[in-house]
Amino acid sequence: MIIFSMIIACILGVIVGLNAPIISYTYSSYLAIAIIAALDTVFGGIASVINKKFDMKIFISGFFGNGILAILLTVLGEKLNIDIYLAAIVVFVGRMFLNLGIIRRYYVEKWTENLKNKTNKN
Amino acid sequence: MTNKKTISLVFGIMCFALTVGICIQAKTVKKSSLVVSQNYEENNLRAEVLKYKERYDNLLKETERIENELQLEIEKATSNNSELEEAKNQINDGNKIIGLTEVSGSGVVIRVEDSDIDLVHDIDILKIVNELKNAGAEAISINEQRIILTTPIICGGNIITINGEKIGSPFEIKAIGLPETLANLSRPGGVLNNLEDERKIKVSIKKSNDITIPKYSGVLNFKYLSSTN
Repeated sequence: MIIFSMIIACILGVIVGLNAPIISYTYSSYLAIAIIAALDTVFGGIASVINKKFDMKIFISGFFGNGILAILLTVLGEKLNIDIYLAAIVVFVGRMFLNLGIIRRYYVEKWTENLKNKTNKN
Repeated sequence: MTNKKTISLVFGIMCFALTVGICIQAKTVKKSSLVVSQNYEENNLRAEVLKYKERYDNLLKETERIENELQLEIEKATSNNSELEEAKNQINDGNKIIGLTEVSGSGVVIRVEDSDIDLVHDIDILKIVNELKNAGAEAISINEQRIILTTPIICGGNIITINGEKIGSPFEIKAIGLPETLANLSRPGGVLNNLEDERKIKVSIKKSNDITIPKYSGVLNFKYLSSTN
């Protein structure tokens, strides 16, 4: 059900996004880092649902908190002339792979279990 | 169960926001960088240029707004004074002639476009403008660039620079004047005819009763000029 709603939301999002106006180039780097942060949070959310540790408050605060912090870091980096956003990207993408690993392990284990059950029945 | 419902709802909303963001970002990037480049230095330069362009556009909008304000103030100041009213009319007439206000009227629209074998050169545009002036055109614009006293038309590689703005094919030359006279540019042996026949450049000319020519967007600055009396 969760996956189903996510797929529908993604399709809706693409439709709306393709019809939305473009933003000014100055802000596009901030939007980019916010997207990476949001992507990280969504992966983290899925992983925590699988681990049955999901907490709505943590999830939502993470979504906004990570995004805002990443944008602020990018702004600061621009002011200091240092690419701080690279650090944010490294952290977020690293965590994304970690969470993806958890999700992958869960489904692979489930799958092998199912396979084993089937062979036992036979 | 309700818990699962809320979770899927929240996930759905977030995925929605995420994909909208990704699409907007992708579109922005696609529009801003038509030529893909992996060079870091080049990327920075391009970002800089885009930022300056944006700032320039904003400033242009700001000047337009201030000019409108000035116009309103002039209206207000001269509404009760016949002497000032006359001065205002003089200013407006002067601005109309030197190209500082948008004008409209009847005239012709000429379209000149690069062909497969030859390009439209600055000299061709110059010749056309010259012929239009000879035929009594009162206001001329090329791709929304008003031709005024000080307008240069210069070759800039595969584009033409007019009023300092880069302009490329197709060129749309609008001229206000008596349409019948202006349309004579297409006579056999004329400039347009030569372009079409000898160099196979795509040329079209059509009369119109409703042509709008924009005002000159730059600033007129005369530093060395003074009256002799």
